[in-house]
Amino acid sequence: MQFHAFDRHYLEKLTSGDFRTQEDFVAYFSELIRLKLSRRLHSHSEVEDARQETFARVFAALRKPDGIREPERLGAFVNSVCNNVLLEYYRSASQQPTSDDEEAEANIPDPAISVIDVIANRQTQEKVRQILDQLPEKDRRLIKAVFLEERDKDEVCRELGVDREYLRVLLHRAKKSFKSIYLKRVAKEAMQG
Amino acid sequence: MDHSEASRLMASEKYLLDELPPAEMEAFEEHLFACHECAMDVRAGSAFLEYSKAELANSSPRVERRAAEVRPSRGFAWWRPALAIPAMAILLIVVGYQNLVTYPAMKGALAENKAPRILPAASLVSAVTRGSAPSVIAVRAGEPFLLPLDIPSQNSFESYVVELQNPAGGVEWSLPVSSESIKNTLTIAAPGVDKAGHYEVVVIGRSAQGQNSEVGRYPFDLQFARTANP
Repeated sequence: MQFHAFDRHYLEKLTSGDFRTQEDFVAYFSELIRLKLSRRLHSHSEVEDARQETFARVFAALRKPDGIREPERLGAFVNSVCNNVLLEYYRSASQQPTSDDEEAEANIPDPAISVIDVIANRQTQEKVRQILDQLPEKDRRLIKAVFLEERDKDEVCRELGVDREYLRVLLHRAKKSFKSIYLKRVAKEAMQG
Repeated sequence: MDHSEASRLMASEKYLLDELPPAEMEAFEEHLFACHECAMDVRAGSAFLEYSKAELANSSPRVERRAAEVRPSRGFAWWRPALAIPAMAILLIVVGYQNLVTYPAMKGALAENKAPRILPAASLVSAVTRGSAPSVIAVRAGEPFLLPLDIPSQNSFESYVVELQNPAGGVEWSLPVSSESIKNTLTIAAPGVDKAGHYEVVVIGRSAQGQNSEVGRYPFDLQFARTANP
């Protein structure tokens, strides 16, 4: 299922600074960038700084006359910018943003607004509750121990007499049940802008 | 990595579970940022986990909730003689057993817990330092014992977990330990066990990124003593 056609028209709106397109772009890549960064950086503030820095550089590059012109390369471009930001973080933890970066950061739409909207959605929460309620008690305990309590996965699997493959399949099935309502929600938000 | 390979490898699930080796993680991320289907899959999975954490953090144990949901509202059905008389008889037997057997045993156990006593201990520190045969500890079956433990401090770990592995290789219990606590010798009051044999205390260090590494392993042999410890 595809909501985001990163075509020439989309890219033109993005480079021209159309706020709704920028908002959509940030909402699309924010979680991917956050997940990527949280696997490599230590603290929430570092992740947030690097996420902002990535978007600032992406938007700065898009505004340049010789910037990216191939819409199908947008995703790979965001990933490579994020990699560069990470490399610089590794080299120096005390990097100070330039005045240009600060200006760019101020214009980046805040994805937290849409996250709050999603959390407020009772329908989505109810769907998650239904999925969890339908799981056997052992599976609920597995999810709780691994993701909420953040306990060692091997240890939890050993305690509950399952292997890592079982955990993967459990997550796959739960995600599959949840995905349809999540996609509807994302599509609705994209239409509402 | 292309989409079919990502699907075959269950890369989305492995990515969310932080299971991909660095090279595969890089390759999957390159694909993820360019593939709408995988991007939505990972975003959906991540959102599901966030919602689940909120739900599981707030929910009470399901057994209690289900019991409340299925509770029958049959009013005074229990007062019918056909049910009431056998029920009363069973109740009397239960009350009698509790008064004559259960409560005296509990009182004894409580009194024992309040009184000072000497617990057997395993010399885990010297056993590891010497690299010799594991130390031996003699206890009664089910009797608690002490495990004095010196964990070597390492800056790379934010916290630690101490596990007791039983002779079958299973985890008897595990205990989270802060990095602050290990500055001094830890003395762990271990609950009694039912099986004698070769046990191992395993110390696992946990980094800020959630990576676990084994820090040390402290074997000891547990023997059941015939006579009571003082």
